[in-house]
Amino acid sequence: MIFHPDVIALLTGSLLTGAMLIYAAFFALMILRRWDLASGSELQVSLERRTYLIATFMAFVCTFQMLSLFLFIKTADGLSVLFSGAMCAAGTLNLNGFGYPTLIMKLLTFVLAGLWLIVNHTDNQGYDYPLIRVKYRLLLATAPLLVIEAALQTGYFLSFQPNVITSCCGSLFGAEGNGAAATLNDLPVFPLLLALVVALALIVASGIYFIWYGRCGDLFAAFVIVLTEVVVQWGFFFAPKSHCDILFSTAARSIAQTVAAAPVFPLLTALAIAFALTLACGGYLLGYGRGGGLFAAFSTATLAWGCIALISAISVYIYALPTHHCPFCILHREYGYIGYILWGTLLCGGVAGLGVGALQPFRGIDSLTTALPAIQRRLTRTAMIFYGAFGGVTLWQIMISKLI
Amino acid sequence: MIELLNVHKTFNQGKPNEHVAIRDVTLAIASRRITVLKGPSGSGKTTLLSILGGMARPTAGRILLFGREITSLPERFLTEIRRGTFGFIFQHFNLVMGISVLENVMLPAYPRGESHLLLRQRALALLKMFGLAARSAAPVEGLSGGEMQRVAIARALINDPQVIIADEPTAHLDTGLSAEFMEQMARLREEGKTIIMASHDPLVCEAAIVNRVVEMRDGRLSAAGVLP
Amino acid sequence: MGSIEKQRSIIDFTLASLLRRKGKNAAFLAVYTLVVFSLASVMFFSQALRKEAVALLADAPELVVQRMVAGRHDLIPLSYVEKIRDIRGVRAVRGRLWGYYYDSLSGANYTLLVPEGFTWGAGNIAVGQGVARSSMAVKGDVMPFRTYDGRLARLRVAGVLPSSTELVSSDLILLSAEDFRILFGVPRRVATDLSVEVANPAEISTIARKIAMMLPDTRPIAREEILRTYDAVFNWRSGILLLILSGALLAFIIFAWDKAAGLSSEERKEIGILKAIGWDTGDVLAMKLWEGASVSLTAFLAGVILAYLHVFTTSAILFEPVLKGWSVLYPKFRLTPYIDLAQLAALFFLTVVPYAVATIIPAWRAATVDPDAVMRG
Repeated sequence: MIFHPDVIALLTGSLLTGAMLIYAAFFALMILRRWDLASGSELQVSLERRTYLIATFMAFVCTFQMLSLFLFIKTADGLSVLFSGAMCAAGTLNLNGFGYPTLIMKLLTFVLAGLWLIVNHTDNQGYDYPLIRVKYRLLLATAPLLVIEAALQTGYFLSFQPNVITSCCGSLFGAEGNGAAATLNDLPVFPLLLALVVALALIVASGIYFIWYGRCGDLFAAFVIVLTEVVVQWGFFFAPKSHCDILFSTAARSIAQTVAAAPVFPLLTALAIAFALTLACGGYLLGYGRGGGLFAAFSTATLAWGCIALISAISVYIYALPTHHCPFCILHREYGYIGYILWGTLLCGGVAGLGVGALQPFRGIDSLTTALPAIQRRLTRTAMIFYGAFGGVTLWQIMISKLI
Repeated sequence: MIELLNVHKTFNQGKPNEHVAIRDVTLAIASRRITVLKGPSGSGKTTLLSILGGMARPTAGRILLFGREITSLPERFLTEIRRGTFGFIFQHFNLVMGISVLENVMLPAYPRGESHLLLRQRALALLKMFGLAARSAAPVEGLSGGEMQRVAIARALINDPQVIIADEPTAHLDTGLSAEFMEQMARLREEGKTIIMASHDPLVCEAAIVNRVVEMRDGRLSAAGVLP
Repeated sequence: MGSIEKQRSIIDFTLASLLRRKGKNAAFLAVYTLVVFSLASVMFFSQALRKEAVALLADAPELVVQRMVAGRHDLIPLSYVEKIRDIRGVRAVRGRLWGYYYDSLSGANYTLLVPEGFTWGAGNIAVGQGVARSSMAVKGDVMPFRTYDGRLARLRVAGVLPSSTELVSSDLILLSAEDFRILFGVPRRVATDLSVEVANPAEISTIARKIAMMLPDTRPIAREEILRTYDAVFNWRSGILLLILSGALLAFIIFAWDKAAGLSSEERKEIGILKAIGWDTGDVLAMKLWEGASVSLTAFLAGVILAYLHVFTTSAILFEPVLKGWSVLYPKFRLTPYIDLAQLAALFFLTVVPYAVATIIPAWRAATVDPDAVMRG
């Protein structure tokens, strides 16, 4: 166990947010069952009061998740010194089966919390709480994911065994790594990838169904459990590696390899196309008020391509080294902390774009006829500004890169 | 313009100390008139006032404001309407201690998010109207009863409301100040405002300027006489 | 924009009401600042020390080879130097001479070291500031030493090491190889350990393994391992301290919660009035949250700034008694200021976040006060 202050801080933060969300989930259940706007009973009044509390909780959760996302990566980076061969966050995260799953879950819960805040804000504009049920179902869906993330993070930090000199008789560490498990060549990559994709698709589909229609909540819960299983298995199958270079260089075979090995130029072209489509669709939406769903789709595509491009193409230009694909080293001081700007703008733009899509099915609701399109327009503008910043910084980095 | 239809209000529903404050009240308050709710303490006039003013929700029944149903509006919207439509004057004035007269007058307008400068000007204009411009920066603790009364009225007027609601306004005032108060209300009626007052003071109930007296007893209306 | 003006007005009101209740809030603010100060001092101090260690070790040799006899460190024969030098990838091998000397007069333990290129000549020594202080020796004085066979050796203090290096050189005495051997009776053919320079860092572990195989009675220690161990120790130590301080932190959080939850009747009345005159629950909640935010921000900034001054200008003067212990040679040092965003973020998570969580529910309770009660007087 590593008693690093950052680790203690992260665990404390996770514990508190998890507790808050579980508390909120209980009230979500009560609200879903007993909400009746027409009644003036004291129960209804107290439920309405309670929604203020839950909204404040979620605002805190969203802020914490964003902060803890960056602190987590920073901590993993700092702890890389303690493990032979780990040179940056990528290496530390790879030490056991919990590292990358924790990161993915943190990202996911941040996005969900952000979406919740957008839906909540929209709901408040309607005089009859039109989205109240949707909102609280989304909360019920987010709560277990946050708890899973907290558990994964705890597991991650608790299973650390730093390579320090513990015995005075011998202290040789080296390229052997620090653990057993399969080597890279034995990874059953393709089946695992397939399982992960299927699990994610099922979760997203059932989650959306549950949130919009309010049915099959138990099916959704089952898929969440399945996803956790797959993710944990995935984590264990990744052998603890010694060098983050091996993970992200083009030499070896692994899933990240497939991403990293992607040819740079076509990838950047794909990103540029997605980017252009998003901006065009956004402009259309702002001008004519239609195409919200399409915008959300393009925006998500830009988000996905942006992530892939950051790993395999853009980082390469920043490092000026064709084999260095690590997505975390760009957060270092020597690169001017440019990583924060790139990842930050990409994520914020992504959440805003997703928000437009999330609100799209509710355009027909009476009490929101004026408010909802206005909110969507604001979100579109926000997404376009963030993506624009991302595109601008990327272009700038590529142009001043020593690689050209 | 304010209509109450079969309104009930029960406190502590389902508990041993359940108390029915208002029973089946149907009432229409006319605009640009002075209406007085008369009745002994415990008759439910204060509860009725808070329901009329959108401060409390009825347990059953409907409320319409200018024809719009506001019974089940979320608090956010109700308060927004209340801010712009109603001005309250309380029995004990209820000014916020520790801040100046001017700040007290400006307080109800803070949540509206208007420019601080404009708000200040409006508040000063109101205070000038009541002859309190010189005392605008003074802390409220140092004011006399009459001055506090005028500050309370100024505060009620800051958002230019259509309806003024006053709960036992003359309870802590002498005859002279009470008369002054009633004159003030008459003046406000001439300006087009609606006044609703709750009182058991004969000075108020039997004043000539009052258009209508509604009598209450045990949460019910007993008489709804209209005075010319 | 309307909502910005609205928040501005609410913040104005919040700050004014905080100032109105100066006494109650001042005491709380002081405690909050103290908590942040303690945690921040611990974190800054350990991180700065860690950075110093890392910077120092940068100049250390990539490998140090020590000889082990019966599980204990023994002197190493210089004949091993040739054997190691022959290994491919080794740039240079050097025998190092160093040891400890206990001075019964001052009760201090000195570290004696023969540096590469000792310029003062035989019979002369250079001493660190701590040594100079405890033995009350100045440049030009002669210090007496007791050799291994009981004789007296007199060595002249040719120079005192600069105080800028005090953190590492406080208890250090530099001397020539001949004097060292005379003092400790270490024969010519052995050294304390060997320092090995390796050209390519990627080869260190391979070379270390080769050395261990070739000379089975030795253990090679890589610089990276020392670094890692130091790192772990520093982190571990500061983490333990934080856990100990967590008791105080918890008490503070309970205090904060209690204070926030214990709404005085005066405050309750004020909130009731606000709601009666047109503020809704959201506005009052915003006010309460701004209250918490301004207190937190002030305490956080004050605590961090005070901790920075404490650690980097007074060299952690409050920790001195704890760290000094029995040490006679406690160095007077000035740490290089170092703080980064991750430290501040961790501090934020440990202090402001628990405070925020503890005060959300009381803030909400305050905001949901019923204005009806005000109407009834």
